[in-house]
Amino acid sequence: MKRDEGAAWSIFGYLLSGLLFWGGAGYFLDRWLNTRYFLLGGLLLGAGAAIYLIWLRFGRE
Amino acid sequence: MRTLHLLSTEGGGFVPPSTKDFNYPPIFGNSAYATKPIFLVILSIILISIFFIMASRKAAVVPSRLQFAGESIYAFIRNDVARENIGHEFMRFVPYLFTLFSFVLANNIFGIVPLLQFPAMSRVSFPYVLALFTFIVFHSVGIRKQGIRKYLKDIMFMPGVPKAAYILLTPLELATFFIVRPLTLSLRLFANMFAGHLLLLVFILGGDHLLKGVIGLKLISPFAFAFGIGLTFFEFLVQVLQAYIFTLLTALYIAGALADEH
Repeated sequence: MKRDEGAAWSIFGYLLSGLLFWGGAGYFLDRWLNTRYFLLGGLLLGAGAAIYLIWLRFGRE
Repeated sequence: MRTLHLLSTEGGGFVPPSTKDFNYPPIFGNSAYATKPIFLVILSIILISIFFIMASRKAAVVPSRLQFAGESIYAFIRNDVARENIGHEFMRFVPYLFTLFSFVLANNIFGIVPLLQFPAMSRVSFPYVLALFTFIVFHSVGIRKQGIRKYLKDIMFMPGVPKAAYILLTPLELATFFIVRPLTLSLRLFANMFAGHLLLLVFILGGDHLLKGVIGLKLISPFAFAFGIGLTFFEFLVQVLQAYIFTLLTALYIAGALADEH
């Protein structure tokens, strides 16, 4: 049960870092290239990568 | 809203509690270090020391009430937090986890102790420092146990993944382990204590202000106070829970660093 509690927090952490890192990369790419779709793409990519990582870590057993 | 405001103006306008209520002037002199939160932290260290020295001094087979209380807290951290999560090497980390738990718990509970009534952890620097300790502890434990190369490799490269996926995943693992974990650990504690204190201020100060208003407002005032008292009990639960979660996550991070594979 404690493991589950820990898992919940790590899942939250992965999602957060996914959105922050790839969303952040998209945001700066947008500012650099004066476009406006990299932020959205980055956020989606980050969320997708985070969910993939969560599945790898917690869903494979 | 406007009529309420007009009705209550005879006692002066209500000043809602804000972040200003968390800034204390220095108690003496003008040193930024002589403020209430600092003295509360020092007081907590003194009280914790006295409590556990008293509880363990006359250790007996049939424990006194004080000894029983002290031992229950210690046993809870040792058995339910450390041993359950860390495994056979847990004894090394019990002193750190135990200190962390009692320190955070005492300072949180100060938020509802009459006269003290301020949780030091609602000033963000205190949780930052505690999270920094945890950060140093769990990374150094992992590096010592596995060597820096293997430790970093385990964090960065999850086995059984196509090579191309590492471009996506490695930055996330690094960000999670080195930035998000310490940040969420400290901000969770800070935000809970900050919001809780603010909530209590709203209801108690609001009730007090209503009491000074016209008769209609005076009648509402008891409800505000009753709510404030109810929330105080609720706050107690949050304070204990947050101290527990901080300690539990520290134990889980240490366990993760000790494990051969993440």
